[in-house]
Amino acid sequence: MTATASPTSRKNPRSLFRFREPIPHSAVLLAALLGAAAFLGGWQLLVSLRVVAPVFLPTPLKVAQTFVHMCTDGAMLPNTVVSVRRVWLAFLLSALLAVPLGILMSGYRIIGATLEPMIDFIRYLPVPALVPLAIIWFGVGETTKIFLLWLGTFFQLVLMIAADMKRIPNEYFETAYTLGARPRETLLPVALPAMLPQLMDSMRISLGWCWTYVIIAEIVASDSGLGFVIWTARRFMKTDQVMAGVIMIGLIGLVTDQCLRLLHRKLFRYQ
Amino acid sequence: MEQPSPYLQFQNVTKCFGDVPVVQQPFNLAIPAGQFTVFLGPSGCGKTTLMRMIGGLDTPSSGEILLQGAPVGEPDIRRGMVFQSYSSFPWLTVRKNIEFGMRFRRDLSVTQKKERAEHFLKLVGLGDFASSYPSRISGGMRQRVAIARTLAANPDVLLMDEPFGALDANLREDLQFELRKIQKNSGKTTIFVTHDVEEAVFLADRIIVFGPRPARVIADVDVTSLIGPERNEDVRDSERFFHLRTEILHLLRGREIKKSLAS
Repeated sequence: MTATASPTSRKNPRSLFRFREPIPHSAVLLAALLGAAAFLGGWQLLVSLRVVAPVFLPTPLKVAQTFVHMCTDGAMLPNTVVSVRRVWLAFLLSALLAVPLGILMSGYRIIGATLEPMIDFIRYLPVPALVPLAIIWFGVGETTKIFLLWLGTFFQLVLMIAADMKRIPNEYFETAYTLGARPRETLLPVALPAMLPQLMDSMRISLGWCWTYVIIAEIVASDSGLGFVIWTARRFMKTDQVMAGVIMIGLIGLVTDQCLRLLHRKLFRYQ
Repeated sequence: MEQPSPYLQFQNVTKCFGDVPVVQQPFNLAIPAGQFTVFLGPSGCGKTTLMRMIGGLDTPSSGEILLQGAPVGEPDIRRGMVFQSYSSFPWLTVRKNIEFGMRFRRDLSVTQKKERAEHFLKLVGLGDFASSYPSRISGGMRQRVAIARTLAANPDVLLMDEPFGALDANLREDLQFELRKIQKNSGKTTIFVTHDVEEAVFLADRIIVFGPRPARVIADVDVTSLIGPERNEDVRDSERFFHLRTEILHLLRGREIKKSLAS
């Protein structure tokens, strides 16, 4: 039945719009390219037809030129390094504390009951609202930024990891018990490997949040980093530089995410 | 003939989860060493709970379970369990899964553990798949891994919770044949839970037939005296086997008919 249906459906462009049906790989690629081209074309048209003044919206080509120029003349790259360093430092600090604590909260109900309401409250506090407090406590130095990023991710991550641990099938633990393991002896050989794929995903997501908070922290209180670059460009109405800075953040996010996904596939090939 | 002394014993065991009774009438059962006992009954009849209590994975609300005369407590290596799902660890290879069975044994050296793992790999016919991960092998092989892992731990009692429940019919028959053989060779006291009458008759020395919840024994069938100790394809096709199977089916159905008439 499918053999007779496929030749006709391949010729018919309407076959690309069959509900919930797969489409050919070539169509996926083409659609992505066409979508991006349409976006850039529309953008260029808006400026060329003077719908928007170039001072508010520079052309895509102009933004690309600025991006390359900023990267080669040296303003962009050192500031990028500063931001990347802040993000990873805060993220590692978050993860290092959140992983054991999340596991304990889910493993021992009493620890979860003690901490969860508090954490649930803190994680809803918006990071920008805590900037003044952070400056009072730590001044405007590096500590403030790391603290803000940590604050924004740690409390979210703890709960995600506790949930990852909770999702492990009970059978794994019960099997280990009947093979002679005491409950705490299951943490390393059973709980950790069982939750590791989920745990890596949770960490990848919280790394993304770190990037949101680093820009906020750098805009409010900094003289370096990508947030500072963007904010400075705004003061001089250099819209192209503002956009180049934003694109840099997007690119780093994209590359990091793809690398982590690749690592995930390599590490968890057994799945 | 001399009566064998009970190896495993339920004494007036009851169980409630909250205020839901699972085993309401005090449950009593004596199981001699080396016996292959099958708990047979409809879903939710409490048979699994009774078996989990042997393993210490659930505790009786009242009464006691004795293993060699001493009450069983928390789960330990003397009572090994094989589950229907999530039975093998997906992050370990077949060999590592089997070695995991001896992870908490301190009486064996590393070399002894390796040798034993090799032995059980071969016993369940997975020698060629030693370095495969569970996701790459069939469901039947995964259950063999779990059985080998539990045997490697060398428990006194082997507990099995519908381990072949998710497999297709042919594979089930093969595994039933192998399990019966392994059980007779090792002499391990085995409790096997299932709702499949044919599986029960093929595997068991003795079947405890349960009615619907709350758990109540409606028959205690001495299978060996009815169809003999030998189990193979000929036995499965025999008249005696068919008769016993039908009789137990009627027994189970009778309960259900009576229940529906009553309501």
